[in-house]
Amino acid sequence: MRGRAALPVLAAVAFTAGTALTIAVAVRGLSDAQAAAARDVARMAAELWELAGGVDEAARAFLDDRVAIEAVPEGETRSGSGTHAYRTGSLQPAVRITVPPQPRMTPLPPAPTALALLGSLLMSAWAVARRRTPPAPRYPAIVALTATGLLGATAVTTHRWADSELEALSDGHATHALRAVEAALAIGADPERAVRVAGLPWATSAALTRPDQIWTMPRGVARALATVPNPPTASPFTVEASGATYHTGLVIPPTPAATTPSPALHLALLGYEETHAPTVPLAATATAATLLTALILCLLPLSTRPPLLRRTVTAWAFLAPAALLLAVFTFGPLLFSLWISLHEWHLVDPVHPFVGLDKYRNIILDTDWWAALRNTAIFTLHVPLAMAVALALALLTRGSRRAVRLARLALFLPGITSVVAIAVVWKWLLNDGYGPVNRLLESVGLGAVAWLTSPGIALVTLMGISVWMVVGYQMVVFQAGLAAIPRDWYDAARVDGAGAVQRFRHITLPGLRHTLFFVLVTSVIGSFQVFGLVYVMTEGGPLGATDVAVYHIYREAWEFLRFGNAAAMSWILFAVVFAATWLHFRLLERRTVRA
Amino acid sequence: MNPAPRGVTLRGVEKRFGAVTAVAAADLEVRPGELLALVGPSGCGKSTLLRLIAGLEEPSGGEILIGERTVNDVAPGDRNVAMVFQSYALYPHMTVAGNLGFGLRVRGTDRAEIEKRVERTAGILGLDDLLSRRPGQLSGGQQQRVALGRAMVRDPGVFLFDEPLSNLDAGLRLRTRDEIADLHRRLGTTMIFVTHDQTEALSLGQRVAVMDRGRILQVGTPDTIYREPANLFVAAFVGSPPINRLRLSREDDGSLLGGPFRFAPDRALDAATLAVRPEDLAIAPLLPRPDITPAGRQPDFAATVLRIEALGSEQRVHVDGPADATWIVRAQPSLGANPGDRVHVSVAWERSHLFGPDGGRVGSAPRPIQILRDI
Repeated sequence: MRGRAALPVLAAVAFTAGTALTIAVAVRGLSDAQAAAARDVARMAAELWELAGGVDEAARAFLDDRVAIEAVPEGETRSGSGTHAYRTGSLQPAVRITVPPQPRMTPLPPAPTALALLGSLLMSAWAVARRRTPPAPRYPAIVALTATGLLGATAVTTHRWADSELEALSDGHATHALRAVEAALAIGADPERAVRVAGLPWATSAALTRPDQIWTMPRGVARALATVPNPPTASPFTVEASGATYHTGLVIPPTPAATTPSPALHLALLGYEETHAPTVPLAATATAATLLTALILCLLPLSTRPPLLRRTVTAWAFLAPAALLLAVFTFGPLLFSLWISLHEWHLVDPVHPFVGLDKYRNIILDTDWWAALRNTAIFTLHVPLAMAVALALALLTRGSRRAVRLARLALFLPGITSVVAIAVVWKWLLNDGYGPVNRLLESVGLGAVAWLTSPGIALVTLMGISVWMVVGYQMVVFQAGLAAIPRDWYDAARVDGAGAVQRFRHITLPGLRHTLFFVLVTSVIGSFQVFGLVYVMTEGGPLGATDVAVYHIYREAWEFLRFGNAAAMSWILFAVVFAATWLHFRLLERRTVRA
Repeated sequence: MNPAPRGVTLRGVEKRFGAVTAVAAADLEVRPGELLALVGPSGCGKSTLLRLIAGLEEPSGGEILIGERTVNDVAPGDRNVAMVFQSYALYPHMTVAGNLGFGLRVRGTDRAEIEKRVERTAGILGLDDLLSRRPGQLSGGQQQRVALGRAMVRDPGVFLFDEPLSNLDAGLRLRTRDEIADLHRRLGTTMIFVTHDQTEALSLGQRVAVMDRGRILQVGTPDTIYREPANLFVAAFVGSPPINRLRLSREDDGSLLGGPFRFAPDRALDAATLAVRPEDLAIAPLLPRPDITPAGRQPDFAATVLRIEALGSEQRVHVDGPADATWIVRAQPSLGANPGDRVHVSVAWERSHLFGPDGGRVGSAPRPIQILRDI
């Protein structure tokens, strides 16, 4: 009975806390953005002050309107709040610049708050009603859907509200930046220096469009800016590029007498709604609250059976640490890579616009990727060969004689040796010029073979080395499988008149079927993930002959810095491995289960 | 189904595993169509002997003949024998039909012929409905019958059973025992049946071979084995409750004395053991005239009842026998004795045995020349 009453209350509490937290996260994010904006203004003011070497006529308009300036007494260093400005050549701050506190924009978002209140009331009413009504199995589903919907709506409206507030902040910031650049130009700074006063606005002008000066400007922004009419119809105005909103403005530098008019500057600032929006914490909070509420509601049908409920809750309590680790370190990175594959993701660009399946389309059209996949598939053909060899070795090295035990150890060693060490040694052994293998071949009158430098041979060489590497491990697994086959089966088969071959076919192979399946699946997966051997020995060469999937992905990410493509490739590889494994299960394991 | 029964002959067969001798110079003659039970405690070499006959082990010495043919160098599959294993050793990935037909299949028998024979065998054993199942889906008893069927289907000259009943529960074991006896009667095939259970051996075997420590100690009909054990081991191993024993030691005058009994052996012995079966003892309440018992026998010694096993059809009375040995007496359920009672016990000397210090039998029906009466 206690569980029956407690669970709805818990759900209501989770819902209320979740919505409140979501809104709180947004409000907190906004006040952070506001503080950042104030800091930005103070920093612009300090730059201007330093540029003018004190309060200058031209700078005064900017400074007086926006900031409070107080002199820092002699001897006092960087203490207290505010931004400090320095006289040229002095380490003693001259003035402290502070931004007068801005009125808080909106204390609470009206629509989300209303939604949250409504939802909390509904949930509480339901929780109270739930004390009396007998349990109905479909009840929680409806409640869960309603709660999820309300939580989602709260999150979405909260985010919208934060976005619009941030947009207003960005507009104000863009105005500040434009005024600061104008002031800097009026002081006499050259356009490049003036632009830097405003922080990092991206500027285009005839003077500033040299590639080395706009390296941080995404190409899309530059293209969008180029389309802005000159002079613009409104200032400041916005452009949309790469899926983000840029607040831009046009500054006409004052023309000193008798000089040619300077070209106008187009400034583009990434808005606060792009750089400071509390999207991730907001989404995380809302998702966590939804999951928690849903989880509690899922337990509700169990509340009619308290022992089961207690067992379930206890079980989950024990599972929670492991589940959390899995979520954070396994599913987290997985989902992150999925996210990367659907967005334009770059190491330095703060904007990651959604690009949908563009990356996947690129990859599907990329013949190099298909070549890498084909190479991987060919490479995987070493698995059945290795398994055949391993099985033969396992049959040969049964027993516990000393020589047999030593042979087993020798065969197993490559399996526990570092791949890199193996690769380095083999690379030396197979070197075209000084490799002992070729030396030996030449000394017995056979020609040298370009083991790793011929496109036709390199992949086969790697397959051979891979067979050598995995055979020991597979052999040990096979031996364990062989040991598990009862002797009686062999005896019965012998009495039944089965010869050695028939015993192998009818007793050994069926007895090893699970072992064979295990080795096949794990080896194929391992083979699809081959990397170290290729990385050390051939680096994908010669002529891409050994460019396998994982190596291709590695290069795409860390050589060409195309993380989106690399992530998308990883997912395609995952799909291929998954399909291959599923096929194995489908074709082999199901049949043998019936067998 | 008319398998030609074959005899099995062992001549001085030996099997050594390193320093361990599992079977030592075994001579055995199994007649065609005979059911021979090979019995002994675990580790006595009986399973090894069976595996030698099957060809699953190579003999270290001696000669094995099946029918008229020496089979030392013949592969198991070509010896015209079939074997039923204790674990049944059914092939788990084959259906019952597949298991039954496997021996025929690997010999390349015609498909229709296999089907015919499998059906016939399944018919005999009542496996018709189970042919498409797999061993994992069968009960222990059903698996046992499939194992039997797999042996039968090839019409072998000799059937070898390696403790086939050990994995069955008690009730099923009795039933299957009857079924095997019945099968033997119907097929008339030579069967060698290994077991560690002497009851099973006596009830099933037409003849019984008792083994211990790699040696065949005695071969004979169950009755012979029971009534005339060739040595002390056989006497002690066969029979339940076990035979009562009394150690006798040599006196200065050459007589043997143990407890109240003094014997005069035919030849000089340092020591000996007197053995009397529980049913060859009679028990009576201690009467005022100790020289007369209701059975009309002379009372041979007086004893105290220690414990009574009331089995319904009979009572097993444990008494403190002569010279502190606990003896068991098989008595009528109507015997009204209680633990602690003093009783008279008389011995049917004509059915008791005397074994020498090496365990060999030195005399039947030894009659004591003197009974020291302390009552």
